[in-house]
Amino acid sequence: MQIKTLSQPNFITQLRALYIIARKDWKVFWRYPLNAVSMIFQPLIWITPIYFMGKAFSVNGQALGFAAYSGTSDYMSYILIGTALSNFIMTVFWGMGFALKEDMNAGVLESNWLAPISRPLILVGRTISSLLVTTIISILMLLIAAALFGFHPTGNIWMAVLIAIPALIGLYGFGFAFAALVLLMREANTLVDVGSFLVQGLTGTSYPVQALPYWLIPVALALPLTYGLDAVRGVTLNTETLLPIHLEVLLLVSSMFLLLWIGAWVFARVEKRVRALGTLGQH
Amino acid sequence: MNTTLQPQVLGKTGLLSELRAFYAVLRREWVIFIRYPSWVIALLIWPLIFPMMYILTARALSGPDGSGLKIFMANTGANDFIGYIVVGSTVWMWQNIVLWDVGFALRNEQMRGTLESNWLSPTWRFSYLLGATGTQVVSMFTFILITALEFGLLFGVRLHGNPWLALLVTLAAIPSIYGLGFAFASLVITLKEANTFVFLVRGLVMIFCGITFPVTLLPAWMQSIAQWLPQTYLIHGVRAAAFANASLVELLPDLAALLAFGAFWMLVGYFTFIWMERRARQTGAIGQY
Repeated sequence: MQIKTLSQPNFITQLRALYIIARKDWKVFWRYPLNAVSMIFQPLIWITPIYFMGKAFSVNGQALGFAAYSGTSDYMSYILIGTALSNFIMTVFWGMGFALKEDMNAGVLESNWLAPISRPLILVGRTISSLLVTTIISILMLLIAAALFGFHPTGNIWMAVLIAIPALIGLYGFGFAFAALVLLMREANTLVDVGSFLVQGLTGTSYPVQALPYWLIPVALALPLTYGLDAVRGVTLNTETLLPIHLEVLLLVSSMFLLLWIGAWVFARVEKRVRALGTLGQH
Repeated sequence: MNTTLQPQVLGKTGLLSELRAFYAVLRREWVIFIRYPSWVIALLIWPLIFPMMYILTARALSGPDGSGLKIFMANTGANDFIGYIVVGSTVWMWQNIVLWDVGFALRNEQMRGTLESNWLSPTWRFSYLLGATGTQVVSMFTFILITALEFGLLFGVRLHGNPWLALLVTLAAIPSIYGLGFAFASLVITLKEANTFVFLVRGLVMIFCGITFPVTLLPAWMQSIAQWLPQTYLIHGVRAAAFANASLVELLPDLAALLAFGAFWMLVGYFTFIWMERRARQTGAIGQY
């Protein structure tokens, strides 16, 4: 007797699964409209203390100390670009790491795992809707921030968007490995919070990495995202970059492939391990 | 023959049983807290990394030669910018964690589907919130102690004042911080969109209470909002006691404001809970999410 699979997974069914996961998340997101509004204002709330703190460090509105590090005294534009990009960092961390924990809590992780689609694809699907939402929110945030604090890009914004794409894809590799950690530890809040905070802190989302303590600078320089943020600011604000921009882009693209490969490998190993342990549905 | 049955309560409620229920909630919360090893990370790493974002931004604003720092010192009157920022950011963390832990105590039960069954037990329902608070107070004071130790040992932050007075101001803030948490827990269970309310309340603290800057830098309309938030007095009082050697008399305005806000928020917290409980029973919406 021939064993036949009930489902016939192919490229189209995988795409359909992605679409269904994204649509479900989209519906859940808009089910709570106040949450959506608060997401626009959240990043603005986080940077407001920096805005006023910057005033305490400035003379006649000029943060000259900051300019000596970054090449621009417009610290708010510098920070706003970092904030917009860190919105995406948060999306990947929460979308991949926390989404698994949500499924564990809701008791649907095991049944989702039994569906005939690739498991990394489930993780990617969980971020599609939030990436779309984050893009809309980041644009709105920049518009509101421009009115409140001032945002003065002097370079090429479209080039910056192009540079951000490989940085973001590379982040997915990181997200896979991170999701594996959540599967193992079965706790997400602290891991996601601490993980995303560390990445934001070490890659210089709010400051030039040269301001880090000297012993942390090598760690920052080892993270590809540091060059992503640096290059995006370089082309948008004409700031001084760590390396020539074309070298930073080259680094980003090559690290993107490397991170995706490492992340997928770690996830596959850990996922196999939790299935062997039988702890997938536990929380 | 008389066949009338006397209605009897199955659970005999009394002070002892209430205390037992309180202890059971406390123990359950403690077991859940230590169940996930990441609590060690939360207690050891969080106190460092959250203030670090602001401290490193301050370092960048200072410039490589530290010229900006002199301007900051002149504007704020602070003699230690790290200590100045750590006090503000730790107060924010405290309020934030209380909102997530105490504020979500009932909501988590609702999400797990255990709120209705717990509600049916013959105990004082406020115990559920108090039990969650007990564990939270212990973990939060450990958190504050670790913050002080880490910044003292790793960053050389030294007190230039009386630590006992700083502790007194901190203790005076407990009723307002947790009273707000109680009110919050009750509202969240009724209005459901819990995250939004956490973001709103902690956002107010972040914007108006001067966690990284003196409130006097704010525009006048923002300063008038700041004076209605107890965290403003807590941050000001602890900074004055710990780093400016303020005396008890100098701290009295902050202490009085904190106690007054504490009484207000405790009452609001309790009565919001009573209102929510009655409303939930009337509408039958307690188990819905």
